[in-house]
Amino acid sequence: MSYKPNENDLMAYLYGELESPEREAFENYLFEHPEVRLELERLQKMRTMLSEVKDKEVIAPPIFVDEGKARVMWDAPYLKTIVSIAASLLLVILMGRLAGMKIQYEASALKISFGETQTEANGGVQAQVAGASLSAEEVQSMINASLLENNVAMQSSWKETQEKLDASINKSLAQNSSKIDKLVRDASIASQDQIREFVAGIQTENLQLVKSYFKMSSDEQKQYIESLLVDFSKYLQQQRNDDLQLVQTRLNSLEKNTDVFKQETEQILSSIITTVGNKNSIGMTN
Amino acid sequence: MVDTLLNIAMMHSDTLVTRAKEGDQNAQGKLIQLWYKRIYNFGYKFFLDHDLAMEVSQKTFISMCKNLAGLQDNARFKSWLYKIAVNYCREEVRKKKGDRSLSFDVVWNRDAEESPKWESTGQRYDNPESQLHRRELADILQQALGELNVEQREVVIMKEYEGLKFREIAEVLNISENTVKSRMYYGLDGLRKILDRKNINKDTIGYEL
Repeated sequence: MSYKPNENDLMAYLYGELESPEREAFENYLFEHPEVRLELERLQKMRTMLSEVKDKEVIAPPIFVDEGKARVMWDAPYLKTIVSIAASLLLVILMGRLAGMKIQYEASALKISFGETQTEANGGVQAQVAGASLSAEEVQSMINASLLENNVAMQSSWKETQEKLDASINKSLAQNSSKIDKLVRDASIASQDQIREFVAGIQTENLQLVKSYFKMSSDEQKQYIESLLVDFSKYLQQQRNDDLQLVQTRLNSLEKNTDVFKQETEQILSSIITTVGNKNSIGMTN
Repeated sequence: MVDTLLNIAMMHSDTLVTRAKEGDQNAQGKLIQLWYKRIYNFGYKFFLDHDLAMEVSQKTFISMCKNLAGLQDNARFKSWLYKIAVNYCREEVRKKKGDRSLSFDVVWNRDAEESPKWESTGQRYDNPESQLHRRELADILQQALGELNVEQREVVIMKEYEGLKFREIAEVLNISENTVKSRMYYGLDGLRKILDRKNINKDTIGYEL
């Protein structure tokens, strides 16, 4: 056999895309060459394994296609950044202007200020500072002197206030204690009488309360029992009537029954009598 | 490919394509609905990554809507669409090569945090053990696919999962049919070798072929 399939034919056969004449040739070849058959089987197994990978379910998101013309300018690579930098610079300048910011550079000093500049005042201070030239010792002694003065003054004022405070505290203590004593005494005297009155008041109130309560409850109980009795007697009456009616109906039905029974027995008796009479008469004739 | 209603609808989307070409947005939307799952799954098997697959499919369909008017033969719509998708996939691969950052899904395994993977499979009638085996096998196969080189991977996915004919794949990739077949052969062979190396065969996977 001259036919020898290559791997491409094998693939085509595996996926069923080999056309009819070649297909037959290939199948014949397979029949004669078990090693190719084995290879095909292995590939087939591989395919079955591959078919285990299932599709993932997915929901198509909405896709919006714009015309793509309006945005061409914005898509230019640097334009966006340049424009945004310009915009932020503008914003900064505007803010500075609104806040009244001034930036000056004079005499090797950069000054950034908001609002009016106060160059004159600064100049005055500087002049004063320049005019008063003092040695370190003098300054030290001046500081010491002022510190001493301060200390003395503060101590004296402290003493004064201390004394004043003591005096006022003593005074108010004396006043308050006498007042409190008086008040307590008054209260103790007054309270005994008041308590007695109060207790008496409470007692009488309680007495009245209990009295009225008893009266009320007894009234209520009376009424309740009366109504109960009435209801009960009514109920009894009703019951008796019902019972009487029941007995009446029973009696009636009994009466009826006995009547019917009587009639029936009469009928039966008469029929028996007649049949016996007939038999006798027949027997007589025989 | 299994003959589902969706597949049948996809095979007969000629009128839809003509309408979409004329700029009918409704028809375009329907085309997207029909084909989105296929392109997404192509992308997913290609990258084994949901986000990349979504990105590629969205780009593909945006490009489809823009360039549909240039499609000459309606019958070639399928291979034309896959051509766009393949190009975007390759673009992503090129991007990924230069990209040193880690995907967020690698750092934080979202699937592992949520629920066992087999819960989302459709075959609930199987017993859980074989379901888990199948799921594992599917994962291993997916990984093996990812280890193939790009050229073989494209061909294997398009042939095995997207059901394109060799002729169509050749059209998509602009190569000869024989090259496609040989890539397919070496792709399958490579897969088998990868699985052998991982010591995966029917005994270890516990799956009766």
